[in-house]
Amino acid sequence: MKISHYDACPECDLLLNLVAPKIGDKAHCPRCGLLLSRPCKQSIERSFALSIAGFILFFPANLLPMVGITIMGNANTGLLFSGVVALFNDGMEAVAIVVFLASILFPLVHIVLSLLISGHLYFNRPNRYLVHWMRWMHHLDEWVMLEVYMLSIIVACVKLMALAQLKLGWGLYAFVALIVITTLLTGSLDEELFWQRIHQLRERNGNAN
Amino acid sequence: MQTKANALSQGFIRCHDCGYLVKIVNQPLSCPRCDSHLHARHPHSLQRTTAFLLSSFLLYIPANIFPIMIVNQFGAGEPNTIAGGIIELIDSGMIPIGLLVLVASILVPSLKLIGISLLLLCVHFRWQVNARRWTTMYRVIAFVGRWSMLDIFMISILVDLVNFSGIQIIAGPAATAFAAVVILTMFAAENFDPRLLWDTQQDL
Repeated sequence: MKISHYDACPECDLLLNLVAPKIGDKAHCPRCGLLLSRPCKQSIERSFALSIAGFILFFPANLLPMVGITIMGNANTGLLFSGVVALFNDGMEAVAIVVFLASILFPLVHIVLSLLISGHLYFNRPNRYLVHWMRWMHHLDEWVMLEVYMLSIIVACVKLMALAQLKLGWGLYAFVALIVITTLLTGSLDEELFWQRIHQLRERNGNAN
Repeated sequence: MQTKANALSQGFIRCHDCGYLVKIVNQPLSCPRCDSHLHARHPHSLQRTTAFLLSSFLLYIPANIFPIMIVNQFGAGEPNTIAGGIIELIDSGMIPIGLLVLVASILVPSLKLIGISLLLLCVHFRWQVNARRWTTMYRVIAFVGRWSMLDIFMISILVDLVNFSGIQIIAGPAATAFAAVVILTMFAAENFDPRLLWDTQQDL
């Protein structure tokens, strides 16, 4: 049942001979041009380190004020979460939930999952939930929208510049750092390699029992 | 490196979740590597994509005619539609930002709706096209979709920050509709299987 020297393109289903590109090289599908793989040096170590950094940064990014605003002597500051609360109080519960999921909960779950997975792989510890974590992380990927949120902050600030004084807070700097870290994490996390390692751990564990 | 065959026609299924290639023997139900259900193509891809697409077409109308946010200044409310907000930005000289919002909130959602419709029609009517080009179009659609959330996040920031006794910004009914459009089109793109574009080409 198991075939290891073939691969298939996920987007055009072309049957390919399995070629593992060297580190720094890219493999593209010859028929549809999809980027098939781009292996990264020390994928597991890097992902583990970046996940720890991201997890730590998540807290200042969420707990410290991002933007301070002053209009006619009245001051106010905004957090990621206070935006959700404000929408909720306006009666926009559905939108508030979407914003909460895409900008707070999913990024947190994503970083925790990648921390758990890369940690287990780094220490060679099998865990029967690894497979589930990997699948959840894979499906969550698209719904983590930190960089979109960053752009919204910029647009909102530009809109407010005319009528208010703005002050950028430490929360915003932490948020920018968090985006840099998650982007690097996406680049260094080689899913195929992770799956292979999980499979190995699983088989070894199965034989031991 | 290149063979000339579809994996499915050679009896292989690539796991949708972990990318493992499995030789089909007596229809195995789950992937040996990650336990998820195996299916050669997304199940009911066309039906599901059509359903999500039609719902987003419907919601696209209220999203554009109702105000997406209302600026209350000293008791007088000034409703802003999506297009109105962009015109205001451009009028006040913030042209790059205005164009950015124009792309994210108007061009991307509408081109996405048209693009997914074309992809569905192409597969349904078995149009003979340059499949590589159409796959690229699909990839672009799937990639840009999330950026339309820009307006929604911006509203959550503005509603939160501008909340004083003299001036207030509140979210309008179009916000819910617009968020729904963005999410439904993302679901539509996720459910569309680009491999169907290749399956319907005869001269491969």
